[in-house]
Amino acid sequence: MATTPSVVDRLRARIGVAVPLSEATVEAGHLKRFAEAIGDPNPRWTSEAPPTFLVALAPVSLHLAEAEEYGKGWLNGGNRFEYFEPANVGDRITATGRVADVYEKIGSSGSLLFIIFETDYVNQDGRTVARLRGTAIRR
Amino acid sequence: MSVTVGEELTELVKHPTTRQLVQYAGAQGDFYEIHYDQAYAQSVGLPGVILHGLLKAAFLGQLVTDWLGDRGTLKTFEVSYRGIDVAGRPYRCRGRVTKVDGDQVELEVWGEDSDGNRTTLGTATLEMKG
Repeated sequence: MATTPSVVDRLRARIGVAVPLSEATVEAGHLKRFAEAIGDPNPRWTSEAPPTFLVALAPVSLHLAEAEEYGKGWLNGGNRFEYFEPANVGDRITATGRVADVYEKIGSSGSLLFIIFETDYVNQDGRTVARLRGTAIRR
Repeated sequence: MSVTVGEELTELVKHPTTRQLVQYAGAQGDFYEIHYDQAYAQSVGLPGVILHGLLKAAFLGQLVTDWLGDRGTLKTFEVSYRGIDVAGRPYRCRGRVTKVDGDQVELEVWGEDSDGNRTTLGTATLEMKG
C-alpha cells in the first residue's frame, strides 16, 4: 500500500488546527426529539441536555476527504465526554473541533487508521460546557 | 443515601428497532446508511443495520442518570465500542460502583447484546452532593 504513509502524513499535518463547526441554540423541540429517539422519558430532559445531546448540535468529526482514501468504511471506536457546566434550553453553543491525533495500527486482519477528534462546546457566556473526544477508525 | 463499592446500578433493557435508529439518525443528524439501509449495511459486510455507537452511549447515559438522580453531577463519561449490535435485539445496560473517595464516585458501565457479550464498555465519574 504505497499510498498509506502519505494519507497518514497528510492527516497528521492537521493535528491541532481548530475548525469552527457550528453555533447552535439548545432548542426545546430538538431536546424533545432527541429524548424520544433515545427512549429516555426523564422529565429533566425537557429543559436540560441529557449526557450525549451535544453531539446533535455539531458534527462529531471533521470531514476529512483524504481519510476516505484509506480503507472502506468508518467505525466509531469510542467517545469520552468531560462536563463542566450544564447545557440548558436557550443556551447558544459554539462548537469547535480539531484533530487531536492520527495513527495507524497494523494487525493480523489488516491495517486500521485511528483519528482522534476533540470538540469543545462553549456557551454564550464564554464558558466551556463540555469537551468530547472521539475515536474514528477507518478500516 | 450512601453509595458503596460493588453496588449495582438498576439494569436498563432497551429494545431498539430500525424505526428507532431512523429516529435517532434524525435527532443526531448522523445519516450514515449502515444505521437504516439494510441493503447498504449488508453490502459493507454487516449482518444488518447496526446501532449508532452514540445511541448505545445515550442508553448507558440513561442508566447512569436514572441511578444518580439529583444526588450528584456527572463529570466524565467514556464509552468504548467493542462490538456491533443489530436492530431488533435487546440491549442490556448494566453497571456497578467501582470506587468511592469522599464525594467522588466512579462507575463501570457496559452494554450487553442478547448473547451476553459486552459490546460496549464504559466508565463514569460523579461528584456527589454533600
